[in-house]
Amino acid sequence: MSAAELTPPEAARWAARAGLVLPAERHAAVAAVADHIHSVVAVLRELDFADVPPAAAYRAAEEHHDAAV
Amino acid sequence: MQPYELSLAAAADAIRARRLSPVELVDSVLDRIEEVEPHLGAYVTVAAERARRAAGEAEHEAAHGRYRGPLHGIPMALKDLIDVGGMATTASSRVRADHRATADSTVAARLSAAGAILLGKTHTHEFAFGLTTPQTRNAWDRTRVAGGSSGGSAVAVASGTATFALGTDTGGSIRVPAALNGVVGLKPTYGLVPRHGVTPLSWSLDHVGPLTRTVEDAALVLTALAGHDPRDPASLSVPATDYRPGVGTDLTGLRIGVPRTYYFDHVHPQVETAVRHAVGQLEALGAQLVEVDIPMTRYIQATQWGLMVPEAGAYHEGSLRTVPELYQDDVRILLEASELMSAGDYLRAQRSRTLMRAEWARMLEEVDVIAAPSVPMPAVGADEETVTWPDGTAESVSDAYVRLCAPANITGMPALTVPVGHDAGGLPIGMQLIGRPLGEPVLLRVGHAYEQTQPTRALATAA
Repeated sequence: MSAAELTPPEAARWAARAGLVLPAERHAAVAAVADHIHSVVAVLRELDFADVPPAAAYRAAEEHHDAAV
Repeated sequence: MQPYELSLAAAADAIRARRLSPVELVDSVLDRIEEVEPHLGAYVTVAAERARRAAGEAEHEAAHGRYRGPLHGIPMALKDLIDVGGMATTASSRVRADHRATADSTVAARLSAAGAILLGKTHTHEFAFGLTTPQTRNAWDRTRVAGGSSGGSAVAVASGTATFALGTDTGGSIRVPAALNGVVGLKPTYGLVPRHGVTPLSWSLDHVGPLTRTVEDAALVLTALAGHDPRDPASLSVPATDYRPGVGTDLTGLRIGVPRTYYFDHVHPQVETAVRHAVGQLEALGAQLVEVDIPMTRYIQATQWGLMVPEAGAYHEGSLRTVPELYQDDVRILLEASELMSAGDYLRAQRSRTLMRAEWARMLEEVDVIAAPSVPMPAVGADEETVTWPDGTAESVSDAYVRLCAPANITGMPALTVPVGHDAGGLPIGMQLIGRPLGEPVLLRVGHAYEQTQPTRALATAA
């Protein structure tokens, strides 16, 4: 197991920090899936983004909000 | 030929000429549903009485000279993520057991205004978060997956239980089931078809589009769906367009990109053969074939996951805390794990998307359309979870089905899947055509030209 992989207790703690309380019997499975997702998305760290912005664009003139805040 | 077997365009011509009434057509399709639906499981809900009533009204209008256009009196199904006022939008999930939509989604309202008749709501992989749609069986072989997540819509169109249907596509969810069931599926340009009133999976990747029997039918449905709606923040302001392709099949002057990389790697040999044969047909129609190298292939899956997983987790954040036990296991664990991703993961995916979109735009300056397989293999058995390629590489079925579709979701470019044959076991194979943003007319022209060189396809036979 590499240092980047989550142990089941770590997965539970990270989830709790996100406000999600995981039942004990789910800790190991969530850790495994989270590690798999991490292994897939981590390759993006190889890219040199320089000044490239995120694709999500904010167009102030066209925004339309109807959610209550 | 029975009315339920007609393409949308053929049914529309017959209704306009008063050779077929909407009541006859809807009754025929409802009879077909009664016959085959128990074997296929495409529908969550069939609204037979509502459909018959609407057909009577459409017939009355036609009899009094009010013809709304080619969708007048055409029976269709909506993936059950799409709101219809007064009906549940179940997302094929127990989480939505008590749901009731208060208003029509934009697409449901536009289809209704165009005269289309709702037959019912079709199954999705739960909340569109999967590629198989386990409730539904493949229209050609009931032991095989329907594909997903718009599996119910694809099976309904393929088996004659809807003349057309709508689906949604976040990583291939229109194109995958369309290809696996031998029908046409169009994922339009991001923002061309409004998503207001459609349950999201991932806002920055979600699209709504048609599943149909022919490319011409897809064009007729797209014409009714496209157009700006300020209630979808991604909605594009584009002029009203008639997407119906012309009758000509001459593709002289068109440059078709044939990928040297990625799209033919880890692809079933019979899929490759069928797609290359179809590409040869396009060349015979006058198109010029140009080899292209697909950019940034190493980062496609990472970008897709980096966008989709956290966005899905954000949408489900509330119900994952209140009713987690109501989700199916495969969806629940992905949502739980999504909460462990960082903002950095998500922003890297968004920045990678910026790069990828620019690289694809450069590639599409050299060619007008990319032609490639839609999915790497035909429909797998319902209990298969992985596929092993000849070099020994194992891949999950879901990853394989998303692999060739994801680039068009990440870049927002339009993509059309067209049936191009069957494998030795009789399972359908699809060719994917990808174009420039708002390049739907070119995709539809190429797909329609190809279809005109082929015999008319029959309905699926598994039921």
